[in-house]
Amino acid sequence: MSRASRAAARAAQPAPAQSSDWDTPRLAPVPRFGHGSRVPGWDDAVDLTKDPAVVPDLATTPVPDGLRKKIEEAMARYPDFHSASIPALHAAQEVHGWCSPEAIEQVAAVMHLTPAYLTSVATFYDMLVTTPKGHNDVFVCTNISCSLRGADALYEAMLVAAEDDDDITVRSFECLGACDIAPMASVNGDYVGPLETADAKQIVEDLQAGRAVLPGKQLSRRPSADPQARGQ
Amino acid sequence: MPRPESKIIQLTIDGREVRAPEGEMLVEAARLGDIEIPYFCFERKLGKPVGACRMCLVEIEGIPKLQTSCSTPVKDGMVVHTQTQRVRGAQNAIVEFLLVNHPLDCPVCDKGGECPLQDITFGWGAGRSRFIEPKRHFVKPLALSPLVAIDRERCILCYRCVRFSQEIAEDYQLIFAERGAHTFVATHDGHPYVAPFSGNIIELCPVGALTSQPYRFRARPWDIEGGAGVCTLCPAQCNVSFTVRDEKVMRVLAREHPEVDDGWLCDKGRFAYQAMHVDERITAPMVREGGELREASWEEALDRAAGLAGHRGRVGALVGGGASNEEGFLLARLMREGLASVDIDSRVGDAVAPVLARAAAAPALQATVPDLEFAHTVLVVGCDPQEDAPILDLRIRKGVRRHGTKLAVATARPSALDPNAAVTVRLAPGGEAAFLAGLAEELRGDGGGELAQLLRDGGKDVVIVWGERLGAAALPHLLSVADLLGLGAREGAGLLEIPGSANGRGLREAGVLADSGPGYSALAAELEGRSSSQMAAATAEGELTAFYLFETDPVRDLPDRSRWERALADASLVVAHASVLTEGIREHADVVFPAESYAEKEGTVVHPDGRVQRLRIAVAHPDEVRAGWSVIAELARRLGHDLGVSTSPEAFAQLVQAVPFYAGLTLEGLAGRGARWPARAEASAFPAPGAPAPAPGRAAVPPPGPVAGPTTEDPRGATAPAPPSPSAPPSGSGTLRLGVHRPLWASPNVEISPALKYAIARQHAELSPADAQRLGLTAGETVEVASNGTAVKATVAVHSGIPAGTVFLADGLAEDSANVFTGFEVEVRKP
Amino acid sequence: MKKILFDRIDEPGLNTLPVYERRGGYGALRKALKMTREQVLDELLTSGIRGRGGAGFQMGKKISFLPKGDMDKYLVCNADESEPGTFKDRELMQKSPHMLIEGIVIAAYAGGIDRSFIYIRGEYKQQADILEAAIEEARAAGYIAEGILGSDYSLSLVLHRGAGAYICGEETGLLDSLEGKRGNPRLKPPFPAVEGLYESPTLINNVETLATVPHIISMGGAEYAKIGTETSTGTKLVSVSGDVKRPGNYEIELGIPSREIIYGLAGGPLDGREIKLWFPGGSSAPVLTAEDLDIPYDFDSLAKAGSMLGSGAIIVVDDSHPVLEVATKLAKFYAHESCGKCVPCREGTNWTVKMLARIDSGEATPMDLDIMASVQEQIIGNCLCVLGDAMAMPIGSMIEKYRPELEAHIEAARERAMSGALADVVALGVADEHAGPMPVH
Repeated sequence: MSRASRAAARAAQPAPAQSSDWDTPRLAPVPRFGHGSRVPGWDDAVDLTKDPAVVPDLATTPVPDGLRKKIEEAMARYPDFHSASIPALHAAQEVHGWCSPEAIEQVAAVMHLTPAYLTSVATFYDMLVTTPKGHNDVFVCTNISCSLRGADALYEAMLVAAEDDDDITVRSFECLGACDIAPMASVNGDYVGPLETADAKQIVEDLQAGRAVLPGKQLSRRPSADPQARGQ
Repeated sequence: MPRPESKIIQLTIDGREVRAPEGEMLVEAARLGDIEIPYFCFERKLGKPVGACRMCLVEIEGIPKLQTSCSTPVKDGMVVHTQTQRVRGAQNAIVEFLLVNHPLDCPVCDKGGECPLQDITFGWGAGRSRFIEPKRHFVKPLALSPLVAIDRERCILCYRCVRFSQEIAEDYQLIFAERGAHTFVATHDGHPYVAPFSGNIIELCPVGALTSQPYRFRARPWDIEGGAGVCTLCPAQCNVSFTVRDEKVMRVLAREHPEVDDGWLCDKGRFAYQAMHVDERITAPMVREGGELREASWEEALDRAAGLAGHRGRVGALVGGGASNEEGFLLARLMREGLASVDIDSRVGDAVAPVLARAAAAPALQATVPDLEFAHTVLVVGCDPQEDAPILDLRIRKGVRRHGTKLAVATARPSALDPNAAVTVRLAPGGEAAFLAGLAEELRGDGGGELAQLLRDGGKDVVIVWGERLGAAALPHLLSVADLLGLGAREGAGLLEIPGSANGRGLREAGVLADSGPGYSALAAELEGRSSSQMAAATAEGELTAFYLFETDPVRDLPDRSRWERALADASLVVAHASVLTEGIREHADVVFPAESYAEKEGTVVHPDGRVQRLRIAVAHPDEVRAGWSVIAELARRLGHDLGVSTSPEAFAQLVQAVPFYAGLTLEGLAGRGARWPARAEASAFPAPGAPAPAPGRAAVPPPGPVAGPTTEDPRGATAPAPPSPSAPPSGSGTLRLGVHRPLWASPNVEISPALKYAIARQHAELSPADAQRLGLTAGETVEVASNGTAVKATVAVHSGIPAGTVFLADGLAEDSANVFTGFEVEVRKP
Repeated sequence: MKKILFDRIDEPGLNTLPVYERRGGYGALRKALKMTREQVLDELLTSGIRGRGGAGFQMGKKISFLPKGDMDKYLVCNADESEPGTFKDRELMQKSPHMLIEGIVIAAYAGGIDRSFIYIRGEYKQQADILEAAIEEARAAGYIAEGILGSDYSLSLVLHRGAGAYICGEETGLLDSLEGKRGNPRLKPPFPAVEGLYESPTLINNVETLATVPHIISMGGAEYAKIGTETSTGTKLVSVSGDVKRPGNYEIELGIPSREIIYGLAGGPLDGREIKLWFPGGSSAPVLTAEDLDIPYDFDSLAKAGSMLGSGAIIVVDDSHPVLEVATKLAKFYAHESCGKCVPCREGTNWTVKMLARIDSGEATPMDLDIMASVQEQIIGNCLCVLGDAMAMPIGSMIEKYRPELEAHIEAARERAMSGALADVVALGVADEHAGPMPVH
């Protein structure tokens, strides 16, 4: 689902039930607010029928065994278990596809933190995604060096190419640290470049076929630009 | 733990010489020199500065960049400029930046007139903005909780509210979500921010982003006046400031007292003021006629109450925690002198032998609230501060977080402080006495468990926080532990009792006890009366025929509900002072005098740490309400016994006269901050305990083997079978051991406060996951908890912290309260 | 030119321990462990090596600021390489991870540190996998162990993957992130050397800096100091990108003319194009013009020219790109990456984006350039960390140096707008392309 259609879906949902004690008149959207917020979450009230989100009890929160083990291992790696929050969220995202409220609650139960703590962390970082997304991530770098070499057109092409595949989420991304292969993209973590707009279609086809993406353009196979850096 | 001591240094700010404690943050030090530096994110109470708003930038000689004065500790000889062109430029810049995304809707903003952003914009802004793009607009206001509305447009992301949630209350429900300019204050997945201290964020907010749902648009700052008071809804007795408009309390704000509340309030204290101005409140006298209560004139009501004369010697009196010292004192006089009745009590638990009571209240042994923060170790035993005196919970957290205080918790029910505790001991309900006896035994030796070692070796400043509900049987052992740790001999160490009712301590000191007079004086044998539970029993024998209930309903507040129902039914005259018709009053009172609220009362109360605090009149009595002391005095006159008081200060004077260790206290001296009598020289007049306390550890209770192990002691006095250890379920598959707690929200004031409807305490049967599974119960379903033919309905809650074999229920509730049970074993079953 | 870090960096299998050892890898560690801590630190101080992450602070001094004595101390390797235009650490970690590990162990030894972390940006998945494998190898071989190589020195090393936030490259933001929080920068003081990770003294260094350490120990600090200039010693990896023929990483001796890097190594601008402007040290550096190409590439010369060496990333922009495009790209980037903690950065970056958008939509006047320049000045020096400055400095420099072009742009856009060509432009909502679609009215 695209971000736009998600926003639309959210807007279409009935407003959360308000308790009768909430004695402000129910707010119909004022015309100037009619467009809704462009910032996800800013226009959302809490649902007063929910219980407060305290630390979930591991006894009553089912957590997949593998995930729990991964999180506990991560917690053991650090002098302070809080440090494991990003690895734990990465792991949960892998299992659930995205950092859903349920995924976050599972992490919270294992780490004995409030879900809010983890929501706060997850929403800060670009790679932790708190809205549903596809299994395949295509990050197109649109920062300065790539954009000088045509990244914006590439991003548009990529969006078009992946338009019909809900399982491929295309995002424009800040500098991915591969300006030597500009313009470039990170496809499920594999860097490919320099790309032409025509490569967008190929990337989608490779992903759909489940094969290595643009093997000839993968960064890992590229020698250093420095002429004297070749090994003997 | 030694308290921070700092020497006074001198620095120069804007050419003015300022003396300030070394290490104080510059922004605070400047204030000492009467120089104001503007700021938003800084708030001393929140701990370490964050330096986020950048409003307080100043120039310090020798440092090239401007510095945030909120995070710069002052040093001797520092030279600071707050008025230079550069500083001015930075201040103008920050104001301009803040207003980029802040709507200028001040005329319709609830904060208008008392808004720091408004003030600072006027004081330090450039008076113009070059931002011409459209501002962001969002839907507003939105609900953040039933009590708090959020207006995200107005938020300047100062961090105060989230820091409060994360670092003060430590509920960590309120967070920043997203990043950069998209950052917003949020909760997880649209859950409401419901937590015991959530209301403080309203007061912390420097803009109109967080507003009080009950106060929104009720008044403008120029419509209101402030009245200083003390909240007597719980023993914590936080200092408050009432916002008053047209003789009505519109709002309650904290009136910071570092030695009482640190400037925080719980949500009950902040919002239950609503109970003062609702239809449910009794504001006129009532008398029973034809089985029903009806409104009556004072004349009629007083006449009916004067019928007590016919029950001379057979009247029992119970005094609730909302009563002032003076009211308790006068009522005790009325009883003992005017009605020849000696049965008067203010305790919620069993009687404590005067010897023990005096020992436990001895001035040398009393810890203060700040001691909680600076102690090496705090032991919480038999209470949960978050429920019993919430503000103390915050103080204990503060000590752990900021000063490295080690916390030990020994309770039957998992406490809110458990996650902060270095040592947690889970007791069987009713196992407190055995636990303390065992602890004393361990302290007598060299070894012992983790807890004994922590108390012995973790530093000498140990504070033990205990609740009145610990039970009389546990007290000798508690005193032994205190003695073994030498707590009486150290400043900064000692005991801190949370009484079962708000002014429990003051009422005892005023002599509202069955077995002691004012100032814990020994009573002549003929004046020694019955404790509350004995009174209930005596009614059945016909020895008591009338009751005087002063701001208490024993059916609701005391153990053994059905016995009290019978007792009140059997009594032929029940006179009550009440503000709400709770069950016992509604069914059994023959005369009801409308009781004052704490914003209407004049008198004194005593904080658990011995601080005598003054209640002052903030709003006039509504309708027919009269001062409690005057009603007692008037009734006494009608009973032919003039108490000699015609004003409240006269009652105070009598009290001071009667309580030797109050000598010299004056109402003027108590103004504002109160006075802690145990710290005054006159404390030496506190009576010696008398007969020596029972030999520690060789008392009634045999020292058990393992801590929290089985014991034969039953704190309710009767002999009960040995309680099992928390992990072993009692016999019979559905039979569990019952533990009882009183939630923060279990209060009639909460029930009638419209804003707190969401918080009304309901009965939950808290089970361990193992028991829930064994009994085939899941969280959220309704069960019956039953014993001896009595049953209450409850919703199942499953927590892994609950020891298997135990079920916890709440008491103090309007319905299905756990005080129907008298034993320790109950059966949990599907209805 | 002398290669130190990039010496035969493309040798197949260099990322594995056997190849690295065959080439003498971990020899410097053996040597260091036979020296005292003070001796190792002396070599680093003598070498004069300055941090390669951005600030250019002397590495040896940083270590010497750590309190002595028995306490928890940490070393954190900053591998959150996210400054636009910078990709040198990526290549180092990918091709020679053991060089970094060896450097970490030696630096930690010099600082008396027994726990270390590598904070690598989450986007570097392949590099993190390679590093993780290398750490395993090093562990198995006893280079990271209790009692390393039979000495009484012990060190643990944990690889920590970030999750996508530029601000985590800022050292205190990185520490907060490593502690499992949002990566908000902290107030300084206290500096990390005094109170860093888990409130303990912490040494934070960039990948390249740490990877150089084994070489300094091998050749000796004095020998290393002979390379480069007096105050910018050694070699530097330079990432050249943008409008050049051969973008890539090049190892250069500090102090060579910038022209030699851009034209000599990277092949100069594309055919038929001229260099309009260039960033000498990542996108946060004030821009330089074609006239500045002969400035020696070292810390002090670039600072003297009003810019900085920063992370050593040269971004070249040729004359086919309007300066507004570059400014807008950067402003949007910094607005997106601002953590939101402090006011001038959070509001200033967003306001700048809106003002730049106004130029392109034809609603601006030349006065707006003055306001924009003044807003940049209001940001610089007033923020909690350097992110705000990192936008304000290059944007400010672009307004200053390319004002005529911007004024012409304003004029042209106004004319277009007047003629209705831009009727659909909506000024709202341009703040951030990541925020979602523009509102439909």
